[in-house]
Amino acid sequence: MLHIVDDEDVVRDSLSWLAQSRGIAARSYADGAGFLEAAGGGFDTEGDCVLLDVRMPGMNGVAVFDQLTVRGLAARLPVIFLTGHGDVPMAVDALKRGAFDFFEKPFNDNQLMDRVQEALAQSRRAGEAAAVQARLESLSAREREVLDLIMAGKMNKVIADELGISMRTVEVHRAHIFDKMQVKTAVELAGLLK
Amino acid sequence: MLTGPWRWLVPVLLVLLLVSVVLWAPWQARQMESTERQEQLIADTLWVEQTIRFELTRNEDAMAALAADLSGGAVPDLRARLDALMRNGHELRRVLWMDAEGNVTASTAPGSLAPPSPSPEMRAALSLAHSSGRAMYMPPVGVHMDYYVPVRRNGIYIGGLIATYNLGTLLEEMVPWWFAHENQVSLTDRDEHVLARRAAAGPGRGVYTHKHPMDLPGATIILATDSVKSAPRLLPNMLVGSVVALAVALLASLAALWRHINRRLAAEGALRQQMAFRTAMENSLVTGLRARDLEGRITYVNPAFCDIVGLPADEIVGRAPPMPYWAPEAMSEYQQRFAGVLAGNVTPQFETIYQRSDGSRVPVLIFEAPLVDAEGRQTGWMGSILDISDRKRAEELARQQQEKLQASARLATMGEMASMLAHELNQPLAAISSYTTGALNLLDGGKPVEPNLIQRALEQARVQAQRAGQIIRSVHEFVKKREPQRRPVDLFQLTEGLRTLIELQARRHFVVFDNAIPGGLPPVLADRMMIEQVLLNLTRNAIDAMADTDPAQRVLRLWAEHEDGMITVCVADRGTGIPAEVAERLFSPFFSTKSEGMGMGLSVCRTAVEFHGGTLTHAPNPGGGTVFQFTLPVANNEEA
Repeated sequence: MLHIVDDEDVVRDSLSWLAQSRGIAARSYADGAGFLEAAGGGFDTEGDCVLLDVRMPGMNGVAVFDQLTVRGLAARLPVIFLTGHGDVPMAVDALKRGAFDFFEKPFNDNQLMDRVQEALAQSRRAGEAAAVQARLESLSAREREVLDLIMAGKMNKVIADELGISMRTVEVHRAHIFDKMQVKTAVELAGLLK
Repeated sequence: MLTGPWRWLVPVLLVLLLVSVVLWAPWQARQMESTERQEQLIADTLWVEQTIRFELTRNEDAMAALAADLSGGAVPDLRARLDALMRNGHELRRVLWMDAEGNVTASTAPGSLAPPSPSPEMRAALSLAHSSGRAMYMPPVGVHMDYYVPVRRNGIYIGGLIATYNLGTLLEEMVPWWFAHENQVSLTDRDEHVLARRAAAGPGRGVYTHKHPMDLPGATIILATDSVKSAPRLLPNMLVGSVVALAVALLASLAALWRHINRRLAAEGALRQQMAFRTAMENSLVTGLRARDLEGRITYVNPAFCDIVGLPADEIVGRAPPMPYWAPEAMSEYQQRFAGVLAGNVTPQFETIYQRSDGSRVPVLIFEAPLVDAEGRQTGWMGSILDISDRKRAEELARQQQEKLQASARLATMGEMASMLAHELNQPLAAISSYTTGALNLLDGGKPVEPNLIQRALEQARVQAQRAGQIIRSVHEFVKKREPQRRPVDLFQLTEGLRTLIELQARRHFVVFDNAIPGGLPPVLADRMMIEQVLLNLTRNAIDAMADTDPAQRVLRLWAEHEDGMITVCVADRGTGIPAEVAERLFSPFFSTKSEGMGMGLSVCRTAVEFHGGTLTHAPNPGGGTVFQFTLPVANNEEA
């Protein structure tokens, strides 16, 4: 989902139209406050991206970005700044602090959309990584040890010996790990933790 | 004419001569008087001596007659004859007849007067008289002197007649009273023993004296006179006194004259110095000076005036209008003003043009003041003439400078405007780009596309393109440079025309623009472009002033009122207002409260408004902030 934050009706409308022409779903917000309210603790979609106008009444683009950073949403919500002439230094500064990119008006529309798609992909990957991390964190300490040994490519018997537990116990842990990590095979598990 | 110290030589010599004459004349007069008196005394003395001698001679003759009678025979009436002698000569003390034996046989003395006891000199005299047989005087004894006449008969001495004179009585009788009154008269013997003296008016002073010896046979007595008059005083009379007084008065008046001349010389010197000072002053002036009499004829010009008109003084002084420096094109103006001069009313200060001798024109500023003589009568006019070419040049330069500043301010405004326009044009251009790109994306997708979708996008793109065009057009109008042209301008139309530009700025700062200028106002006579610039400056200031205002309060309001042929346009903001110290310098060029400001905006605004005969003022906005207001004249119908 592409979130367009701009005070200009025309800009919001034309960018929504452009995004839709590339098959990208878009939502628009007239100001930063409205967007932050909608964002809340994060969106539940498969990848999000924010097009943020730097110059807006009330809360400007940089302030909105700072707020996202404070909420820890910056990684899941890549921000592309749209700047007018003269606002470039401000955007560069934001870039250094973790913004995804900035485009100076007038911009090449399809290049912008390409970057939007890259941002969406990154957002998706970040979402997956966060999910894997969450599953890893659900493992117990013993399960974590077993997982490390599995990833080292050791057989159940070797693992049982090293940990001083029975083969049967290793198999139970292994089943729990696969279950919690939502994989069926060790190869799949390895791919997830790559 | 002698000069220098020699100038005083003649007067000093004359004064010295006068003093010496005045001193010498009384002395000379005294000398003359003295000599005259001495001579008079001598003459008088001789006259007295002659009188005495005459009396003595008369007595001698009478005695001689008697002696002859005695010599001829006895004289019976001898005694009577002696008495007759006594009667005729009061100076005689006695007369007696002494016979040859020495007996006095006849005497006039009442008693028997003993014959004088003969002194040795007398004896000698007597014997001499005896021997010679001639009458002789005896040397005087005291106041008496005897005259002895020996008488012989037939050659035999028979006796002698002796007359005894009292010398004192002789003086009393013989010296006239007027002479005695002025002189002490004395008879002395040869040894200057005084025998008799008459001093009726006191003793003599010993100044004028004369001694005249009277040689009598047998004796010598001296007649001495001594005037009672003292020596003549130096200033004895009025004449000399008045001459001296006049001389003193003359000297005094000479001294006074001298002092007066000295004072006059000093005054003349001071005057000459003053004149030299003034002349130097007039010559050093760059201001031309020109004096005219009541007929307008020039009586004086200074070198600076000659420099201004390029003519020598002798070609100007004495000229009556028309003057050689009058420019032909302004002749009627001169004539008119000159008629005013003849009528006695002069413009105290005016500007005009002079023509130099080389034909070039000089702008001059002239001040006229009445010229008044010592009695307070007006004798003409004094004018000072300033060559204001430099000032005119400076004014022209300042005007050009002002124009340049206006142009710079316009450029500065335009620079900001251009920057803002670039930003603002981005919006429609970006939108157009997005719409068209999106449309192309759909068409390139290969899938069937709904025409409504494409149509809507293109319609939006057209609207945005028109918006961009509108922006560009309004700027284009604004940028065109031209001379100020005042035409009837409808303020409502003007502000509506500016709306796009004002809103560009307003929106950028999230300010609401409220144009409350009513549509039915009469047109103002103004240069549209200048008023647009004033409005843009004021609205931009108003927008800038609200940077710290709550966005909900950011309202820029324009309105206008019509009153007394003037329209007042107000630009009100809701900003922080203007502090007093800023208000003081608000309209000064290059004063700005903005870091990037040139400080030209309000200065140019005021110049532009004043160009139209209006005023630009500001006042606090009752609702907070500031109201700037300027007035413009309503266009008259005939000019419309």
